[in-house]
Amino acid sequence: MTTLEAARAVGPGLDRVDAPMKVTGKAHYPNDFGYPGLVHAALVHSTVAAGRIRGIDTSAAETAPGVQAVITHLTAPRLEPGPMTLLGASPPTPFQDDRILHHGQHIAIVVASSPEQARHAASLVRVDYERSEPLLDVHDPRATVVENPWGLDSDRGDVDAGFAAADVVVGGTFTTPDNTNNPLGLMSTVASWNGDSLTVHDSTQWPHNVRATLAAVFKVPESGIRVLAPYVGGGFGAGLRVWPHVILTVLAARQVGKPVKLVLTRPEMFTSVGHRPDSVQQIRIGATRAGDLTAITHEGLSSVAMEDDDYEPVSLCSAVSYACPNVRTQDRQVRLNIPCPGSMRGPAEGQGNFALESALDELAHELGMDPVELRLRNYCEEHPLLGLPWSSKALRDCYLQGAERFGWSRRDPRPGSMRDGRWLVGYGMAGVSYPHYQVPCQARASLHRDGSADVRSAATDIGTGTYTIMTQLSAEQLGLDVSRVHFDLGDSDMPYAPQAGGSGLTSALGNAVGAACRNLIREFLDVVKDDADSPLRGAAPDEVSVSGGRIHRTGAPDQGESYTDILTRHGLEELSADGRSTPPQPDGGGMATAGAFGAKFVEVRVDPDLGLLRVARVVSAIDGGRILNEKTATSQIVGGTVGGIGQAMFEETATDPGTGRIANATFGDYLVAVNADVPDMEVIFVGGPDRATPIGTKGVGEVGLVGVAAAVANAVHHATGRRIRSLPITIDQLL
Amino acid sequence: MPRNRGAMTQVDAAGATSTGAAPEVPQVEVTLTVNDTEHHLRLDSRVTLLDALRDHLGLTGAKKGCDQGACGACTVMADGKRVVACLALAAQYEGRRITTIEGLAPNGELHPMQAAFARHDAFQCGYCTPGQIMSAVSLVAEGRAGSEEDIREFMSGNLCRCGAYPNIRAAIRDALAEG
Amino acid sequence: MHPFEYVRATDSDQAVAVVTEDPSASYLAGGTTQLDLMKDGVLDPDRLVDITRLPLGGISHTDSSIRVGALTTMEELAADPVVRERLPFVWEALLLGASTQLRNMATIGGNLLQRARCRYFRDPTVAACNKRSPGSGCAAIAGIQRMHAILGTSDHCIALHASDVAVPLTALDALLHVQGADGTRTVPLTQFYLPPGDTPHIENVLRHGELITAVEIPLLPAAARSHYIKVRDRVSYEFALTSAGVALVQEDGVIREARVALGGVGTVPWRAWDAEDVLRDAPAGADTFLAAARAALGGARPLPGTAFKVELAQRTLIRTLETVAGAES
Repeated sequence: MTTLEAARAVGPGLDRVDAPMKVTGKAHYPNDFGYPGLVHAALVHSTVAAGRIRGIDTSAAETAPGVQAVITHLTAPRLEPGPMTLLGASPPTPFQDDRILHHGQHIAIVVASSPEQARHAASLVRVDYERSEPLLDVHDPRATVVENPWGLDSDRGDVDAGFAAADVVVGGTFTTPDNTNNPLGLMSTVASWNGDSLTVHDSTQWPHNVRATLAAVFKVPESGIRVLAPYVGGGFGAGLRVWPHVILTVLAARQVGKPVKLVLTRPEMFTSVGHRPDSVQQIRIGATRAGDLTAITHEGLSSVAMEDDDYEPVSLCSAVSYACPNVRTQDRQVRLNIPCPGSMRGPAEGQGNFALESALDELAHELGMDPVELRLRNYCEEHPLLGLPWSSKALRDCYLQGAERFGWSRRDPRPGSMRDGRWLVGYGMAGVSYPHYQVPCQARASLHRDGSADVRSAATDIGTGTYTIMTQLSAEQLGLDVSRVHFDLGDSDMPYAPQAGGSGLTSALGNAVGAACRNLIREFLDVVKDDADSPLRGAAPDEVSVSGGRIHRTGAPDQGESYTDILTRHGLEELSADGRSTPPQPDGGGMATAGAFGAKFVEVRVDPDLGLLRVARVVSAIDGGRILNEKTATSQIVGGTVGGIGQAMFEETATDPGTGRIANATFGDYLVAVNADVPDMEVIFVGGPDRATPIGTKGVGEVGLVGVAAAVANAVHHATGRRIRSLPITIDQLL
Repeated sequence: MPRNRGAMTQVDAAGATSTGAAPEVPQVEVTLTVNDTEHHLRLDSRVTLLDALRDHLGLTGAKKGCDQGACGACTVMADGKRVVACLALAAQYEGRRITTIEGLAPNGELHPMQAAFARHDAFQCGYCTPGQIMSAVSLVAEGRAGSEEDIREFMSGNLCRCGAYPNIRAAIRDALAEG
Repeated sequence: MHPFEYVRATDSDQAVAVVTEDPSASYLAGGTTQLDLMKDGVLDPDRLVDITRLPLGGISHTDSSIRVGALTTMEELAADPVVRERLPFVWEALLLGASTQLRNMATIGGNLLQRARCRYFRDPTVAACNKRSPGSGCAAIAGIQRMHAILGTSDHCIALHASDVAVPLTALDALLHVQGADGTRTVPLTQFYLPPGDTPHIENVLRHGELITAVEIPLLPAAARSHYIKVRDRVSYEFALTSAGVALVQEDGVIREARVALGGVGTVPWRAWDAEDVLRDAPAGADTFLAAARAALGGARPLPGTAFKVELAQRTLIRTLETVAGAES
């Protein structure tokens, strides 16, 4: 492999390359785009959760000022289903029949000259429903239960024997509520047809999925569709799928023959773009008096929509996190009349980790053992299901260095023993073993005669720092200063990229970019292989290094030349090369591919009279493999932790028991953490490059969130002696 | 630095209204003073200041995050005081001096608060950022950036779902220290 | 949003005349409630009379009171030095309400007229709301109850009055100056709000077209101490689960004068007269405070989802009383 000498580009905290655009308001998000002649859409929603549309009266809406079209299931054309994707089936195609499957389901789209006119006209649509009784509760005995939905249930050893051998058994029922992703950017679509070709601006985390889905649904060639998402106002999973409103906007644009913009309202964000489904979890853990785990059983029950998929293996974390000979994990989903759930930052792990790491804290308390020591004692050096060593695992360092930085040794283990004036002080911690995820990706790199490089891939940067770290990585791989590299993304006309999700994009894209850059250097060497004037003549890729805009023979900096010289001498304007990455097999190369690991240490304050809970300090120790940019990676961990604080203390999407309506679908009623709720935080990265891929990264987008809820709950127990097994932990639970 | 690709036009006055609002919708004549420039507009009386800026003046820096006054993404200044433009009727703000993120540092330089936000990575997706910066600049003018507690409290009207709050505070402290 | 005609008022008499004569007209001041509810489709005036150009701002002081023009914003009122020094609990309640952006827009008159935060009231797709559609029922009683009232409720409505600053103003016996088509009148704030009873849609004594022109706030005696505590899930920027505004005059450990009101619990800003009776001439101490808190919540009618508020409101009041009684003046 080409030796890299200009490693400075990667690692230190380069400011985001997109910062100037973002701080000046010049970064254009999907709803910032328009076209001449643009018209505006608004949606009409079902106000019942189950039944059929008996009649729908659109006459008042159709004659309202400015209205150009009202489309319902009665007037919509037959549309095809969306494709099966890497993330499962597409959501049901809208407007194909009269059935109502959940409250808030889109049942009409109104197009008018202005957004004010469209929204008002939408309020004039009258609907007559044939109601049926909705299924809304996971415990409803009438509801369909899907057993082992992904074939991931696990059973190793003999759990009955394991519990029989235990000196101590802890456990109970843990519950987590629906949470709503709620990126700050209202999900928006702007669609413009030109004949059979289509341009779409969309708040997506995956432009190619939008392209493939629209091509399938509308039966037009993918080549005619361009999907753009240069900036997206967050996603947290809400932009992974092609939701019905996207299809409806494209349909409306075709129907009226004009470009159409749809901006979801904040209440619509609760019913239209997925959510983290609630869970009810039963967990039991048995251990010897010495603290060796003898058995774990973990059963997860989650809600899912009537006719949709959601990947949410809540209990799986208990199968792969600790060395325990006897473990059984089991997941079930219950079909309800609810809006489609979907991935939300740390899907499944966010729920399952709360139960597992809370129960381990209970065990440590029962044993009189330090919670960190208990986790170290049951550390798994090998992947428990595969029996192979991890491609990287520095979780031990996470525990030890995190504890050191936090001052964990100052913890008096007796609950209620630490105070600060009126406030009870609690220390809590949790461990995280995040799963590995990676899918194929492509990129293209070009070097121009002026010595600058363009690198691109159809990925998205939803705040993750992709623009920046891929600029850095490209600069490193090509031996250029970062100012000479332009990395571009967010356009389906670029090489294929997977979704920004599953903490898998950095490795997938990074390795594709790395491959493109290496292939590009190979192209240069190819050009000069017979060039008598080149000091690089005949050099093989593994014999050269790059730095300062030059390729030179490794160990001999003067035996080389610049990209510019090569291009100029050969009369070339530029050279380009493609690169692709394929994920390592889970057990490839005799090792188990590892995701990120982490340990969370949290200090809380509790006012026992008023039930007030505050997070005072958080230390996150993270093994994220090779860190490409400490600044943006730290932001990812801090941001994830803020989401975790929300999950722990505030966030609960409330559904009306009788009607299935979301009862708190605004930012005034669904509480996310505000500035005053969030302390300053410390993040430390431990470990080194992962062995599974050439660039050595592991994604850090989700490991920051997971573990926070358990660490807060464990700290609350330490402060008060009360074990809270139900999220969020609110004042009423602490009175 | 990422570029904006040129195939698309920005939202402009023609975009939203050129197709012609029906005559029965009440209209208002409004003169808005935005970033020291006067704009004469004929608007549907329902148009908010936020939509006037975004859909009719092409100033898309102020963002719509809730349209209910609950997230702060649309924060602009009116006569030097921060307001949420989504709960402001455009007609009501005639004659008031509106400042948006685009007018904070008009000469292509960055305002010290903008530079501090960039330096401290005080955003991720960037959607709340114009509102955060307008709020932060106001916070300093209000004399409320002096203590950590005040910064936390008086920046709490600006939600950041990416969770950049600690870096936002660091940026404010830094910008204040620079004067 | 329903289309409306925008009218900019330049004269109070004219504004009052226009709205009084037109049942489908409404005033527009800061807009933070009015516009929000119009967007939600809860309010649908045909005519909106913008009163923000009227000369109804400004704060004037006498030895015994502050007269606050109804268009004074919450931020402007909080910036008044007399409010901060002589009425600290008003100052605290102002700053704990809403965000700075909203406080720069919201007027004191509008704040007192703010509508319920109840999500059943604010969502016209919910059929049952007696406040929105008299006689239709109350979906909140069978719904998610946590943010609703426990005092002053009826079988027809449990919606909370969410104003913070109305709590200390109620405790202070503030007066509202009102202009109507037939002239002006003065209404004590304690008699301004109407509990829902079987007419939840009638929230106060204002007749259609009447306009609040000023709020007159009596000052506390120089020896008084006051404090406002707001309890909520988040540290900031959230409506109260419970709150308490307390002003006390003490003499040698005995409470001589007590003004107490509660927020987050009442269908109207809740003056705790019974608690004041317990406190007056009683020794400042834990037993007195507990008795006062019990008296204040004596009439509570909680539902399962609001049961915790009875205890929480009592503890909030006790903490506020402790803080005021123990504070250095």
